[in-house]
Amino acid sequence: MARSTRLVLAVALALALALLAIGCGSNDGGTTTTAAGTSTESVEVVIGIGAPLTDGAVALGQGMVRGANLAVKEANESQELIDLGITLSTVEGDDKGDPTTGGNVAEQFASNQNLVAVMGHLNSGVTRVAVKVYAQNDILQVSPANTAVDLTIPRSNANYFRVCANDGVQGPAAADYASKAGFKTAYVVDDSTPYGEGLADAWAAQFEANGGTVLGREKTADKDTDFKALVTTIKAQNPELVYYGGIYNAGALLSKQLKEGGVAVPMMAGDGVFDPEYIKLAGAANAEGDLCTSVGLPTDQMPKGQDFIASYDAMYPGEAMAAYDAYSYDAAKVIITAIVQVAKDMGADKLTTPEGKKAIIAATQGISFESVTGTVSFDENGDTNNKAITVYKVVGGAWTPEKM
Amino acid sequence: MGWATISRRATQMGGGVFTDKRALHAALAVLIILIPLIFQAATGLGFLVRILVIVGIWILLALGLNIVVGYAGLLDLGYVAFYAMGAYAGVLLGQATSDVLGGATYWVMLVPGAIAGAVTGLVLGFPVLRLRGDYLAIVTLGFGEIVRISLSNNILGLTNGAAGLPRGTEVMVPPFGLRWLQANVRFDTPLGDFVFSPNLYWYFVVLGLIVISVIVINRLDDSRLGRAWAAMRENEVAAAACGVNIRTQKLWAFSIGALSGGVAGVTFAYVQQFVSPESFIFMESVFVVCIVVLGGMGSIPGVIVGALVIRGIPDLIQGLAVAGVVRLSGATMSSITSYRFLVFGLLMVIMMAFRPEGMIPSKRRARELHPEDDAVLFDESLALEEVDHAGRSSDHGP
Amino acid sequence: MNYFIEQTINGITLGGLYALVALGYTMVYGILMLINFAHSEMFMLGGYIGLLSLKVLSDPSLAEDVGLGFLEPAQAFFNSGTIGFILMLVVTFLVSGALVGVVGMITERFAYRPLRKAPRLAPLISAIGISIFLQNAVLLWVSSKQLPYSRADGTSFVPVKTAFTFMGVEVSTMQVLIIVTSITLLLALDTFIARTRVGRAMRATAQDRDAAGLMGVDVNRVIMLAFFIGPALGAVAGIFNGMYYGSVKYNMGFIPGVKSFTAAVIGGIGNLRGAMLGGFLLGIIESLASGFISHAYRDVIAFIVLIVVLVVRPGGLLGESVTEKV
Repeated sequence: MARSTRLVLAVALALALALLAIGCGSNDGGTTTTAAGTSTESVEVVIGIGAPLTDGAVALGQGMVRGANLAVKEANESQELIDLGITLSTVEGDDKGDPTTGGNVAEQFASNQNLVAVMGHLNSGVTRVAVKVYAQNDILQVSPANTAVDLTIPRSNANYFRVCANDGVQGPAAADYASKAGFKTAYVVDDSTPYGEGLADAWAAQFEANGGTVLGREKTADKDTDFKALVTTIKAQNPELVYYGGIYNAGALLSKQLKEGGVAVPMMAGDGVFDPEYIKLAGAANAEGDLCTSVGLPTDQMPKGQDFIASYDAMYPGEAMAAYDAYSYDAAKVIITAIVQVAKDMGADKLTTPEGKKAIIAATQGISFESVTGTVSFDENGDTNNKAITVYKVVGGAWTPEKM
Repeated sequence: MGWATISRRATQMGGGVFTDKRALHAALAVLIILIPLIFQAATGLGFLVRILVIVGIWILLALGLNIVVGYAGLLDLGYVAFYAMGAYAGVLLGQATSDVLGGATYWVMLVPGAIAGAVTGLVLGFPVLRLRGDYLAIVTLGFGEIVRISLSNNILGLTNGAAGLPRGTEVMVPPFGLRWLQANVRFDTPLGDFVFSPNLYWYFVVLGLIVISVIVINRLDDSRLGRAWAAMRENEVAAAACGVNIRTQKLWAFSIGALSGGVAGVTFAYVQQFVSPESFIFMESVFVVCIVVLGGMGSIPGVIVGALVIRGIPDLIQGLAVAGVVRLSGATMSSITSYRFLVFGLLMVIMMAFRPEGMIPSKRRARELHPEDDAVLFDESLALEEVDHAGRSSDHGP
Repeated sequence: MNYFIEQTINGITLGGLYALVALGYTMVYGILMLINFAHSEMFMLGGYIGLLSLKVLSDPSLAEDVGLGFLEPAQAFFNSGTIGFILMLVVTFLVSGALVGVVGMITERFAYRPLRKAPRLAPLISAIGISIFLQNAVLLWVSSKQLPYSRADGTSFVPVKTAFTFMGVEVSTMQVLIIVTSITLLLALDTFIARTRVGRAMRATAQDRDAAGLMGVDVNRVIMLAFFIGPALGAVAGIFNGMYYGSVKYNMGFIPGVKSFTAAVIGGIGNLRGAMLGGFLLGIIESLASGFISHAYRDVIAFIVLIVVLVVRPGGLLGESVTEKV
């Protein structure tokens, strides 16, 4: 008898533990339902921010969080949302730039009942895994930074949009600039990440199509710091330009070691190096004359740019803007605009229901508004129609827009 | 061995909470099947099923490495190479044959995945297994890096470099029944809506693989091979003198471990529907070694609990916060995520100082050293000393 | 030809760094049979402490802020030219070498000594734990970003970039500094181990710890010393690494750590001269592999060389040709 009593006790204990965990969950769901049901309080709607925050391109990831949070804060202060009875909040998911971690983060977002959309991710590899989870759960994903072409072409996920131009736009535009600027020969290096590889391939193809010669193509790793032997190789090839597909961390060191190793030609790269950290790391003297492309037009030259910079500085005094802050701001605004539209159509309390989530995705396709990075609207693949590319050059220790 | 170890221990520790082994087994089995179903149904906890799936894959990996490290006493720091070989073999062959195989693709691919792992293990093991223990560590580490770098450089034009597989336009076919279950098994429960998610499907697949592995390993342990390993661990020279072919036995252990890694790799690739070289970095190998050692070398419940604790708990904490189950302020959240590795590193040091035999030590190890004394469960630091292959004295100085 | 010479010089420089780090691995291994995974973090700590020290020593206003204003006259000299720069470097080496050496001794005392009786894998796991802990401590309490290795105004610490031109090949100051310093330190250590009383005690301990103890050698002190010298040399390599490549990051130690350990194994682990030889060999092989075969595959080539060396000579190049000792 004692034996069976103990067995029952043990099973009961285990079940109690399991239920305790669930208890937390349903409690949470419970409060939300009451809030929505009575509609005297505002409906809480959550936007996930997926970015690398402790590993990978941390500076860019933290910038994404800042940009998105600024948009959400402004929206929460706006009369429109107050009238609709919506309170937005954000939750950060650290994907570390790693696909498997990204998949976990995506599941965590999907488990949050109040979460309707995700602003992220930075890395295309992470999105490849995460977007499938969002698709299964009718969650909208708007990326400020993914550039891999095949995420949208051909379109495989209706819930995926991006506000930046892809490698198929950025790489060739950069190559065209290089050809126009008179560079005839180049050495192409990438960092063995999907981003760097895709960009460098696209750049090299267009550069050769323009009649330029690619003297060599090498792969490095994104965590590399030693490029001395590679610099000697490049020096022997004597190119007029070095193109680097990759992020600022390693890119800055490559530029520095190139200049110190006697390769006195500019290095060109994509938006992954468009960050003040790049110049700091390479040393202003070494970085001088380096080129990069970034999507859209320079923030401070945009009609809404000055306002954005002013409110950014007010919210984050002393923080330098990274490459994707403005894009993250706009990506968050896309999400907010879609939420507002659906709230008006269906009522705020429907936002977090499955139908509401589907409606938010559907609404995103038709969005069009003027913002910091220009006109934000999407083509049939979910790519931005804003395909402007700006070339920047390091002049006097700062990224300065070049005339195309 | 197996779960029996737990129940015995519980008996001795708690003065008999569980007096019946079978009752405990039944309770555990019920829990293992019930818990994911509850998580799936409960609002806001669905992500836990995915965490369990990933942890399950890690359990598979740890069980495989446990054969190499725990049973045969070989330190392998590049175990992730076999995992990668399995994953890539499974995806490459699977994509080539999925038109024919359809929903059977994953299941059929388990075979080439396992073979890819085992063959890689044999090819590497054959020349290097005669090396001294620590040399083996660095060679396997180097081999792991060779595999990863080759994959990310699109070797032979097969692996699509850093962008990973499947290529942008391809999709991986979901396994049998998943679509049907997803479409038809959904109902309301008091906890929330229950939908049969892909994660749940994979949970049961992984669970099945773990059960098979545990059974196979238990059988192996009792077989001629297992006895040879035990003899080899205790005293290589004596074992050799008794007719155990040391090199063949090591090769067996190495390739059986590698085979298991290959199976885990295929499963990982199909769970994630995507595979890229980033998933096979050296730190992953280190994690598997840590799971095996912290859990308890040679102990099946040990490595299972090790994987749950090391892979599961950090994800659980972060996950609960992200999923909105636990209300944490942004600052608390970010300090949890950033401090967890610091604490984890420190825990590893403390754990080694106070309980080097692992969380749930293998009982057989204790018996090997103390045949007459059956109750020495907690004085097992010595029991693991047979791993000391180089045989130098490890006593204190005066 | 110039290209070959240039790549070889790159390789020797890299090899000097590897050799300095490899010594730490090989000394500890020789005495304790332990792969000290945390050694790569000593290299990393050296880089950080060196950066701080160089900054403070070269920048009067920064020195003022941290309460070292009295350094000002010395600073004027440090910034005055080549001799001043070398002196500043020497001071930095002493400061960070000593500090990192102490960290090394602390890890030995608290993480490894309690485990001397434990099974072989226990201290290895403990070492991995220390490594994870130190990396994350730097990440949390110093910076998660990659920091530039430069003066306050963003220029590099080295006053002159090119030391001399040799057969049409420009050799940079950093390369000369690294090669000369590493060879000097290696020779000094070799002499120390071969000629002095303490060195003899160290060799005795490595050969047979118990017997050495019985002969009156204070084994614990010898081990402490090994855990001081290794990390101190690693710290010097870390500073050079920062100055040569231009940055420090919390996880910078990992790759050089693995390579240096590989170098130690190629040379024959436990053997000091082997570590030096292995370091230079590996550096040159890597550099030539990158220059003549493929940069992307240089690590693959390095590891293949390792496997080939071990299969042909299982004890490493200079190692005792031991089979499994029982």
